[in-house]
Amino acid sequence: MNQLRNIIAPVGRRRFLGSAAASSAIAANMTVLDLLQNPVMADEVKRQGKRVILLWLAGGASQFETWDPKPGRPTGGPFRPIDTNVSGIQISELLPKMAANMQDTAIIRSLNTKVADHGTGAAILETGRIPEPGVQFPDLGAICARELARADSKVPDYVSMYAATEGRRHGYSGFLGSRYAPIMLTDKMVPRNLTRLEAVSDVDHVQRNDLRRLLAQRFERGRGHSSSVTSHNDAYERVRGIMASEKLFDIEQESQAMRDKYGPTQFGQQALVARRLCEAGVPFVKVARAWWDSHGQNFETHRELCADLDHVMDALLNDLKERGLLEHTLVITLGEFGRTPNINASLGRDHFANAWSCSLSGCGIKGGTVYGKTDEDGHAVVDGEAKAGDLFATIFKALAIDWETEYHLGARPIPITDFGCSPIDAVLA
Amino acid sequence: MFEAKFNKTNDWGIPGIAFAVCRHAESGKLFFGSSDFKVHEFDPSAEKPEPIAFEGDGHQSYVTTVALIGNTLISGGYDGRLIWWNTAERKAVRTQDAHAKWIRNIVVSADGKLLASVADDMTCKLWDAQTGELQQTFSDHVPITEHGYPSMLYAVAISMDGKLLASADKQGYIIVRNIESGETLATLHAPIMYTWDPRARRHSIGGIRSLAFSADGSQIAAGGIGTIGNIDHLGGNARVEVFDWKSAERLHELEDSKYKGLVERLEFHPNGKTLLTAGGDNGGFVTIYDLESKKIAHQEQAPMHVHGHVLDEWKSLYTVGHGKIAAWTIEG
Repeated sequence: MNQLRNIIAPVGRRRFLGSAAASSAIAANMTVLDLLQNPVMADEVKRQGKRVILLWLAGGASQFETWDPKPGRPTGGPFRPIDTNVSGIQISELLPKMAANMQDTAIIRSLNTKVADHGTGAAILETGRIPEPGVQFPDLGAICARELARADSKVPDYVSMYAATEGRRHGYSGFLGSRYAPIMLTDKMVPRNLTRLEAVSDVDHVQRNDLRRLLAQRFERGRGHSSSVTSHNDAYERVRGIMASEKLFDIEQESQAMRDKYGPTQFGQQALVARRLCEAGVPFVKVARAWWDSHGQNFETHRELCADLDHVMDALLNDLKERGLLEHTLVITLGEFGRTPNINASLGRDHFANAWSCSLSGCGIKGGTVYGKTDEDGHAVVDGEAKAGDLFATIFKALAIDWETEYHLGARPIPITDFGCSPIDAVLA
Repeated sequence: MFEAKFNKTNDWGIPGIAFAVCRHAESGKLFFGSSDFKVHEFDPSAEKPEPIAFEGDGHQSYVTTVALIGNTLISGGYDGRLIWWNTAERKAVRTQDAHAKWIRNIVVSADGKLLASVADDMTCKLWDAQTGELQQTFSDHVPITEHGYPSMLYAVAISMDGKLLASADKQGYIIVRNIESGETLATLHAPIMYTWDPRARRHSIGGIRSLAFSADGSQIAAGGIGTIGNIDHLGGNARVEVFDWKSAERLHELEDSKYKGLVERLEFHPNGKTLLTAGGDNGGFVTIYDLESKKIAHQEQAPMHVHGHVLDEWKSLYTVGHGKIAAWTIEG
């Protein structure tokens, strides 16, 4: 039974009990192997230790200058395609390090998300669906935090870093409640107010929390069940654990050699923090690298930003792999849209959502694959069109999250994958 | 005050983007490098002028710069290649893998003997323009910006007497050298040409895009763009700085807020007091500055963002750029 307890604890007592009640097959002498025969529990176990690092290319990176080059075409721009270490796959010459490291990465070249304004485009790619009035959908980070986090976790479930001010968006947990809202890092590498005030002793801090809990419980009892009050209290209950995670945000804890690997840019430093957080058990970390909105001087902008992306992504994937974490960590590069095939008079590219690309690396992904195809000038998808919901279903399945899961908002079932969407199995391991 | 005026007399649509142009003095034919990876001949005196592409093993990326020595055209491109062409046959005669990254600009000395090239491998190279033999390589520009990103080496100039070589980079540094000795004579800085946005967008834009010596070699002019608020666009003032390079004194700071964008091209009048500039943002401009008064002597809106120009003794002007070639006359 001790063996059983060891498995139950990490998967969450409530989930286990729910599963056990639903299944009369769980016998008193159940072994671990028996446990894994239960589909619900098997999925739970599979999810253990799964992590996500989302490299959010805010403002919209160009697919032509990254994952879907169009050499020699009027829309193709000046950069040449280069061979990768996977036969038959070429990417832009601006990503030479990734070209030598494609064995763990899949490219989706056929996103058609239709909406090419920053706000709505970002909302679609954050939630996997078109925003709907009256419903606050949780974003990908909140869903992953909900599905992947341990109930007894002492670390944050969702951390979002977005240092540039342009296009900054706060992650949102929507109807899942504040328990799954992100800790947002904007101007500093360490969350604000994480450190206990010097004027408050540790004992005082504990006692204050006890008093707050007592008052909160009384408040809650007086008002019957309230999801917002429960959510609020859940968040407070985790304060002590999160306060103890301060060092996770401190890259000075890493060797100089490791910091050098990630490079001197803020994006590199934040990616290193992301690895530290994932290693410690944080299930979802978003690192936003702004701002790719290259209406003027697209090629100069991408020379600068792709060098950063290429170096940081390569360093991150290698580091995760060397630590044995890559098979459990899904690294995503994604933004709100891509950029136009046409090159404007300022040598820029404008917003474009009809045929663009993203990448998925690591956990659950069939590396060295390309899915989907755009036409010769990149104006339209000609094969394997994928919506945001398809991408989300793919991400969920890669993480062993049941992509057909439904949440309930009152009596209304809300699937985590948008209606009509399904995983892209071709990029899944 | 320089009194001349100029008028656009014609313009022609062309496919793609023309980045640089030169003109054969006797035939009047133009040769331009294009975003279609080709070099084209264009005869503006023809009844229906059409670009005619040069044949054979050419460039594999944008052709960004051209120079003419007699009947030999030299082109440089983002593929890192320099190619020598026979203009009569429109065929390549020599190809040189010259730089590891994009070639941004080339210039030929007035006597036609030397060719200088600059590229994003952050080297400035001197070549024998006749044989293609590499003579000197200068690696004195800093390859990484102070913010940790790749820098770019955009502009190059040779003085009229062939003794001075200057190059200029993204962060606004200009290096002046003695060609014969290779010695660095001056390092100048025009920091306003480089905008780093540390807060809203966390990347940079700008750089010195054009460079020219005065006829006597005492002054050097640098063109680019002023400080930009929103670096998603080319919304900064077109900017020129003129230095006395020996004393490092900044003689002139000229900014135009009417026609914004990059100053892609610069040329001193032989009088040393007049400067022609051309460039643009989504649109384009041609502007003549009178340096004595520090004022615009004349200005016209161009029908496109101007990437290249060629003057015929300050009597006629051709500009090339986004989808167009335009012809201008200069009177006065």
